Amino acid sequence: MGKHVITMLPGEGTGPEICEAVRRIIDHTGVEIVWEYEDIGLDCLDKYGTLLPEKTIKSIAKNKLAIKGPTTTPIGTGHKSANVTLRKMFDLYANVRPAKLIPVLKRPWDKIDILTFRENTEDSYAAIEHMVSDEVAQCLKVITWPGSYRIAEFAFKWAKANGRKKIQCVHKANIMKMTDGLFLEAFREVAKKYPEIESGDIIVDNCSMQLVRNPGQFDCLVLPNLYGDILSDLCAGLVGGLGFAPGANIGDNCAIFEAVHGSAPKYAGMKKVNPSAVLLSGVMMLRWVGENAAADKIEKGMNKVLAEGKTLTYDAGGTASTDQYADAIIKAMN
Amino acid sequence: MLTKATTGRAKRPAKPITLVGVDVYIITENGIPAFDDYGAFKIEFISNRGTKVWPGYVSEDLMLVNWYRCRFMATKAVTDTDVDTFLTALSKKWKWSAAQKLWNYGDEAGFSKAY
Repeated sequence: MGKHVITMLPGEGTGPEICEAVRRIIDHTGVEIVWEYEDIGLDCLDKYGTLLPEKTIKSIAKNKLAIKGPTTTPIGTGHKSANVTLRKMFDLYANVRPAKLIPVLKRPWDKIDILTFRENTEDSYAAIEHMVSDEVAQCLKVITWPGSYRIAEFAFKWAKANGRKKIQCVHKANIMKMTDGLFLEAFREVAKKYPEIESGDIIVDNCSMQLVRNPGQFDCLVLPNLYGDILSDLCAGLVGGLGFAPGANIGDNCAIFEAVHGSAPKYAGMKKVNPSAVLLSGVMMLRWVGENAAADKIEKGMNKVLAEGKTLTYDAGGTASTDQYADAIIKAMN
Repeated sequence: MLTKATTGRAKRPAKPITLVGVDVYIITENGIPAFDDYGAFKIEFISNRGTKVWPGYVSEDLMLVNWYRCRFMATKAVTDTDVDTFLTALSKKWKWSAAQKLWNYGDEAGFSKAY
């Protein structure tokens, strides 16, 4: 493969130390990467007056590929989330979240391999909110046919390319007949084009209950934005928590890979947090650009370190620092 | 008629309400709308599916549907009559699905910005 130019967004809080560990591990695969470091998040406010500087936007627009560390959205200050802004600006409409059981992380289940495809740009995240009287607030839930159609199409294509067998549309169309009804209708229309993949639908509340009781029954889920946000975290909880939950935000010509956890500012500089979620996001990114051998190498190295159980970060029951954990993975990759 | 539950409901502390603009939802197949000067109301931004598409950077990859939220802010103190006049003028050129008045409650905007 040729050289890759990737925008690196370390974020703030523990983000820079996590991203440094991840960069070292990815570089150790031998894949040729030019990293373009750019700023994003709270630390940008003083310097640029915005969470998402113009220079960062230009870098992503040029490279069409980025990996991002955690950032924090200030609550109640009027600043829009940099994450959501990026997704909307570059129309990264497919949020792909794998929840796969890592064998050595003990859980009550022996089989979980769920892929959630969350529509990433619409729904109640369209930021259309009004105080329509002094005691009534409303938020418009925006669901469009083309937006619903393309996330369903994305999921079916992904499933077909990766040997997945079954896709379910998660909705509440029994109550929200127009909005979720349209989402389900588009899903069913797309499903007709993929008869080789089993398709069905499930109501979101039932899906939540089933995920907790019997998660092994699920393969791929396609969800509108809000249900996707919630259930993808639920799935992450089933396989070890957000410390091991990677994510990808993908559009037709641009992709940003990121962990979904926060920036844990209280641990900043202590080099103790688990970099696995960003690392696994990097693994997804390497597969996205066709560097499958490098991705496999990292994943095997990480699983080996987890199986040995000697060099684990605190959240996985160990005492290793971020750097010690990264070094152990690099050693296991050799 | 007011019900017993209505008169006994929890009350939020009242704040002075000021009309400051209108969100108008325009339907067009011809791309991002460009508006004439409507005097009392001036276009501030246009969003599509919640993403700002005017002014500023728009990704070539951004999928647009035929429904645009167009935020018009008042250029002076306005009344409901000004809103009526504005919407009548707007209707001569544009098809719209809904309009939402924008109010400030005290010093706070009672409406969100676009991404």
